[in-house]
Amino acid sequence: MPLPDFTLPGPLAAIARHLPERPAAFAFTTALNLAKRAGKLAGDWEFLEGRTVRIEIEDLGSGVTFTAAAGRFHPVGNEPEVRFAARASDYLKIALREEDPDTLFFQRRLKIEGDTELGLELKNHLDALELPAFLDRLRPH
Amino acid sequence: MRKPELVCPAGSLPSMKAAIDHGADAVYMGLKDATNARNFAGLNFDAAAAREGIRYAHAKGRKVLMAINTFPQAGQSATWRRAVDTAADWGVDAVILADAALLDYAAKTHPNLRRHLSVQGSATNYEAINLCRDLFGIERAVLPRVLTVPQVEHVIQHTEVEIEVFGFGSLCVMVEGRCLLSSYATGESPNTAGVCSPAKAVRWAQTPQGMESRLSGILIDRYGNDEPAGYPTLCKGRFEVNDETYYALEEPTSLNVVAMLPELMKIGVSAIKVEGRQRSPAYVAEVTKTLRAAIDAAVSEGARYHVKPAWQAGLGKLAEGQQQTLGAYSRPWK
Ligand code: SF4
Repeated sequence: MPLPDFTLPGPLAAIARHLPERPAAFAFTTALNLAKRAGKLAGDWEFLEGRTVRIEIEDLGSGVTFTAAAGRFHPVGNEPEVRFAARASDYLKIALREEDPDTLFFQRRLKIEGDTELGLELKNHLDALELPAFLDRLRPH
Repeated sequence: MRKPELVCPAGSLPSMKAAIDHGADAVYMGLKDATNARNFAGLNFDAAAAREGIRYAHAKGRKVLMAINTFPQAGQSATWRRAVDTAADWGVDAVILADAALLDYAAKTHPNLRRHLSVQGSATNYEAINLCRDLFGIERAVLPRVLTVPQVEHVIQHTEVEIEVFGFGSLCVMVEGRCLLSSYATGESPNTAGVCSPAKAVRWAQTPQGMESRLSGILIDRYGNDEPAGYPTLCKGRFEVNDETYYALEEPTSLNVVAMLPELMKIGVSAIKVEGRQRSPAYVAEVTKTLRAAIDAAVSEGARYHVKPAWQAGLGKLAEGQQQTLGAYSRPWK
């Protein structure tokens, strides 16, 4: 069954806006590092070394900014080189391969600002991954 | 009536598998370098992914075509020749080539490797196609998206080379292979570097007036908040001409021939191609599934064939600028 469209409830965003971003960013990059160590992020991620990417969740009014150093992902606080912005449900649809990022871009549901080439390279690397089974379990059955 | 082959794009292994799983007869792919016309960072195949994709396709009785369809740059022809050797070594079913010297190399070095003339070869008439057949033994030609249906029919009637036409995807309106717009703005074009509007030259920015799309600093378009967007190519920009600002060349739109499949089959089209190696597996799966259903219905239903609203809705959603067109196939004014 396809994932329904949803917007995160307003109160959640109100809380999130007041929370520091660092813990969420730390959880996010730790998940990435674990996935990488488990061999779930195949391919060459060298291009992210020393680059700064921000993923903003619009309906949460918050996001994570991270970089890669010596093959590990870390949260950072500086200005990102490229910034993605979309709602949580649209990120999930991209991850579940239900929606094509270009489609969401044409529909103005996904925004990319800054270094377009870095953003495109990240998108293409994610596309080249075989969908991990744990993501499929997020889908409503 | 012969059933046309459905040829689908693959920019990655998951896309290739999605195309095959959803009914593509053939998939086309390229290497991670400037030898193909979708040379984007992180896209395309290394040896391991290619070999796995070819194994997957062949196990299911489908074909893999390798696009080596840019023009070798001065002093670098060895890279392009090596790509042809690689394709032969991996056992792909055909190579899609544009450059005459490369076609000649392939014909002489790998005579048993099937050769298709790429859309980038820009052959729009049967004389050009027959010349390529005589000189390089091409077995198929992909037509640029600029001919009307009667013009396509005229080509087919005068050649035994199989004719492949575009069925769905972003439009390139300038007789592929002859457009200078991207070179003008960025110094790189599909033929020279394998990209129209290279990502490094593209910048999007949210401004109080809307989202601005720039190519090498040139403002291409400014989209209002709810206005659908397109790719940042010069041909699909809004420009001021005689005090009027509008899409002076082409609108952001996608070609969709589902409505005229029976006509294309009647005139003897051998293959229908889907554009979009730069898109994600979700796009490949959806478009392949829909065109598979439409082609099968056009064959089995004959005169009763009608376009299902669900097909058009599904394809419309994926279309550039959220718009679809029959493109040059239907140009009443020619
Ligand atoms: S600028 Fe437009 S017409 Fe020219 S090559 Fe690019 S997509 Fe095609």
